[in-house]
Amino acid sequence: MESSTRMLDHGTPPERFARGWHCLGLADSFRDGTPHRVEAFGGQLVVWEDTQGNLNVLDGYCRHMGGDLTQGTVKGDEIACPFHDWRWGGDGKCKQIPYARRVPLRARTQRYPVVIRNDQLLVWHDVEGSEPDLEILPPVLPGLDEGLYTPWTWEVVPITDSHCRELIDNVVDMAHFYYVHFSFPTSFRNVFEGTVATQYMESKGRPDKAGGYGSPDLFLKSEATYFGPAYMINWLEVDYKGFETEVVLINCHIPTGPDSFTLQYGITVKKPEGIDDDTAAYISKKYAKMFGEGFLQDVHIWKNKVPVQNPLLCEEDGPVYQLRRWYEQFYVDRADVQPEMVDRFEFEVDTTKANEYWQEEVAENLRLRAEQEASGEAPEGADDAENPQIMSGT
Amino acid sequence: MPSFVPTSADTLEDQRLYTSARLVEVACLDCLARVGVKKNSEHHTSIQWTAEARGHCPELNRRTGGRDFQPACRRLVASIEAAARDGQVPIGAEDGY
Ligand code: FES
Ligand SMILES: [Fe+2]
Repeated sequence: MESSTRMLDHGTPPERFARGWHCLGLADSFRDGTPHRVEAFGGQLVVWEDTQGNLNVLDGYCRHMGGDLTQGTVKGDEIACPFHDWRWGGDGKCKQIPYARRVPLRARTQRYPVVIRNDQLLVWHDVEGSEPDLEILPPVLPGLDEGLYTPWTWEVVPITDSHCRELIDNVVDMAHFYYVHFSFPTSFRNVFEGTVATQYMESKGRPDKAGGYGSPDLFLKSEATYFGPAYMINWLEVDYKGFETEVVLINCHIPTGPDSFTLQYGITVKKPEGIDDDTAAYISKKYAKMFGEGFLQDVHIWKNKVPVQNPLLCEEDGPVYQLRRWYEQFYVDRADVQPEMVDRFEFEVDTTKANEYWQEEVAENLRLRAEQEASGEAPEGADDAENPQIMSGT
Repeated sequence: MPSFVPTSADTLEDQRLYTSARLVEVACLDCLARVGVKKNSEHHTSIQWTAEARGHCPELNRRTGGRDFQPACRRLVASIEAAARDGQVPIGAEDGY
């Protein structure tokens, strides 16, 4: 092999799961008096509501003989194991063993501190067992409690054969929006600081890739921020033929294994003036479908790519290395977090060259399509409803 | 405990090239912040802050968090533009970095 040949460094994946807040889903989906199973952090969690209305999250396996608590029963405030009926409280302590004289003092299991934020159940995960850091919670969405937004549309998608860092990389990946999602980024910036990382993107639809929407009329302003390693709020302003919609997309995930995670995304739409709730909910569902298709486009890439620790970048690429440096803070002990992982960093991608080239390519595709149409052939890719015209920050 | 560990020494050199090569120090014209700047082209800008510089920026320190926490400080942006005009920040890239 020539020494100048570029080799891929696959690196070795981390041996732990990220420190931070992880969203398990909409809080109300756990409020039915039964235990719920959530695959997470290489195992499973049990989630249930107690009589006070609090949601509790414990490791899913009983510390007695390893019974599966998610198949147990909620008895009073406790989760009862299906194997020998040990009763576990939300504080992680075994409260009662009905057949025993006393409960061993050491009967304590792993509990996950919880917070309800924006109608969602968040848990704190840290292999070092630290107290939950309330300072770095995702912000409360203004207007949500006031009823200005539609109810959440929420989707859960298990992803295998990919480490969740692939999902994170999208924060800086300007060009994939054109090639994978068929949108056309015109402006692209990143800012990372502390536990927060943002992508600012302006884009328009690609008129050569879908028949339905008159895409030159579609503009999107997207602000997508990770609050910690696994919870992104994506504020989207969509302008379609002068009709503006404000969409909030939550893109969050729970790592489940060394190369698997559960992707969850939720959509709410600011109710437009003069539109009834049903119509607003319908719009929200439409967006959910569109973003869902967008995620699947990413998933297809992830499943077929290899991990790469040494990406080779061109001048038009975003700051992959800096983003990964930021992301790494969640995988090391608190004491090992380096200043450069959390120091503020800003990056503006130059989209000029890309836009020139893409402009031409789109024009050429449209010309070819027109030719085909003129000759009576069904144009390929036209009217392709599978291709979402609007893409989120991932 | 190791996290994402490169298996090649060249990767460490890549990390250095992409994150810290060619950064030029630029001082804000309005406060005491000094940041590392790189411009691969007229429209591209990379800005590396330090905690010390960050502590000096009155604009960013005014922000309270949540959504308005991240956008750039306009004064610093203007200072960088001025530095680029003066030729203090060279414009152009090496081999993709
Ligand atoms: S294993 Fe749970 S009660 Fe025995
Ligand atoms: Fe993507």
